[in-house]
Amino acid sequence: MKLSRMLAMAKKEVMHILRDPFTIIMSIGFPIILVIYFGFAIDFDFRGVKLAVYDSDNTRQSRELANVFFSSGYFKLEKGMYPEKMTKEIELEKDFGTIIIPPGFGRKIASRKESAVQILVDGTDNQKTSIVGRYIGSMQKAVASRFSDAAPQSPVDIRVRYLYNPELNTQWFIVPGLIVVVIGLLGIFMTALTVSKEWENGSMELLLSTPVKPLEIILGKIIPYVAISLAGSSLVYLIARLVFGVPFVGSHFLLICAVLIYIVASLAQGILISVTLRQQNKATQAALILGILPSLLLSGLIFPIESMPMFFRGVASILPARWFMIIIRGLFLKGSTFTELSLPFSMLVLLSLIPIIIASKKFKRDLEQ
Amino acid sequence: MNGKAMNAVELNKLTVKFGDFAAVKDLTLSVEKGEIFGFLGANGAGKTTAIRVMCGLLLPTSGDVRIAGLDFSRGKNAIKRKVGYMSQKFTLYDDLTVLENLNFKASMRKIPDETAKQRFEQIFDFIGFNSGQNTMVRELASGVKQQVSLAATLVHNPEILFLDEPTSGVSPAMRAKFWLLIRKLAAEGKTVFVTTHYMDEAEECDRIALMRAGKLIALRSPQQLKDETYPSGMPLSGKKPTLEDVFIKLVEGDER
Repeated sequence: MKLSRMLAMAKKEVMHILRDPFTIIMSIGFPIILVIYFGFAIDFDFRGVKLAVYDSDNTRQSRELANVFFSSGYFKLEKGMYPEKMTKEIELEKDFGTIIIPPGFGRKIASRKESAVQILVDGTDNQKTSIVGRYIGSMQKAVASRFSDAAPQSPVDIRVRYLYNPELNTQWFIVPGLIVVVIGLLGIFMTALTVSKEWENGSMELLLSTPVKPLEIILGKIIPYVAISLAGSSLVYLIARLVFGVPFVGSHFLLICAVLIYIVASLAQGILISVTLRQQNKATQAALILGILPSLLLSGLIFPIESMPMFFRGVASILPARWFMIIIRGLFLKGSTFTELSLPFSMLVLLSLIPIIIASKKFKRDLEQ
Repeated sequence: MNGKAMNAVELNKLTVKFGDFAAVKDLTLSVEKGEIFGFLGANGAGKTTAIRVMCGLLLPTSGDVRIAGLDFSRGKNAIKRKVGYMSQKFTLYDDLTVLENLNFKASMRKIPDETAKQRFEQIFDFIGFNSGQNTMVRELASGVKQQVSLAATLVHNPEILFLDEPTSGVSPAMRAKFWLLIRKLAAEGKTVFVTTHYMDEAEECDRIALMRAGKLIALRSPQQLKDETYPSGMPLSGKKPTLEDVFIKLVEGDER
């Protein structure tokens, strides 16, 4: 291994990058666009869900019931509902659901009999439905205290307090996790192209006709992308902290270590793809499937791994993205220590070593053919 | 070791197999120092494979290979230092300038900056390059690109040059200029091992090796080849045969 050759390789790679505006735009623009999309567009907190009321009782009590809902802040009233319009409106997405108050509701309440109210809810978007369903469930208690004179009769009073993210702020949860996607894309995607580019335009022959060693080529090519990925993740970190006010309670040292290991893991995957496929268009597709999709879908960024079927939990657990996500969330919100994160850290190291070893072995064998 | 005793290239029963397929079979030939050696054959005849072995890019399956007196026992890199390889495909980087390409090549060969600088001047002077060293390679005409490729091949002052179809896709005037350079290189004592599909270029070689399906089928000077293949002129017209006639008969197995 000669340092000078590796550095010359890196220098050449930097020149390629600097002359290709696409790479630069991608490395700065992508993190920003991603954070804007996910940070502003995805919000699991629903406010002002539109509910209609079909009040066939029309008493003081029935109006009070509706009021309990609409004063909570979660729901917004859509007035004037008739039975024949009920499902139509939901179908047209004019409102999300309808509260049906049966005749005699007020009378039953007044005479302290058990009364029932039905709520029809749009079940198409089950993500939204399950969250709205929880809001509706939480109305039960408010309704009970409204209509009984005494305090609600419950032997146990269960109170939930959310730790680490007391207001269940979606952005706190999503934005730090975007570091995983940014590195996944910049690292895997860009490096996947670099070696295949050399094969494709024949310059690999030029490299091979010199005494350069496989490891010098690989490391030389990786170095500039380490810097790019590091810059991209720093950008996400800064936006998370400054724009979204996400707290960071953990150790920055651990964060940097994790980011570096994950960058190496991603670059190694990219190199492995590049070395194997040798064609840029194939390498791009493979990078999309192996790099972007898993880091979006199977990392736990949006969809919880725990609720996935066994098979996908297995797949997720061999992806560095999943373990890196645990570390990121642990560091940002919980302030986890290294001991607490030792499993994800060891998995991350292990899963980075595997592609590096395979890639350099395969590359070496190809060259010696 | 003196020049007379040591050939630039010595192959003895060189065989290269890819799986069951033998791309080169029992190739035996030797090239003298300072010789311009033409390597001819149809596409897929095994020329490039043989050259890649001689440049230290590929290990032979069997047979002896001696390049500038070196065999593979000291590793491929010893050979790579002695030879210059200009591959069939254009291998320089389009988005780098001429000088950046050469600098990169020099750094891969660990040539000190000062030495490299002097060397580039000599080379540019030698090949008569005047298109601007800071031009992006992608902006050069194809003939000029080939010149720069040759320059990159000469960076480490190799003893033996392997030029794989150096003039394909180049204009006739540029080809003539390129061959002037080849003769100049040979006059300087460098051995030039060249493949081509142009018969006028083959005429320029001291000796020609004809390959067919991985095997050597003839190894003679251009004149000998013509005389021996058609001792009494062309069968139909009685005209003097050209190298093209010889090539068609020997390599493609057709007469005309």
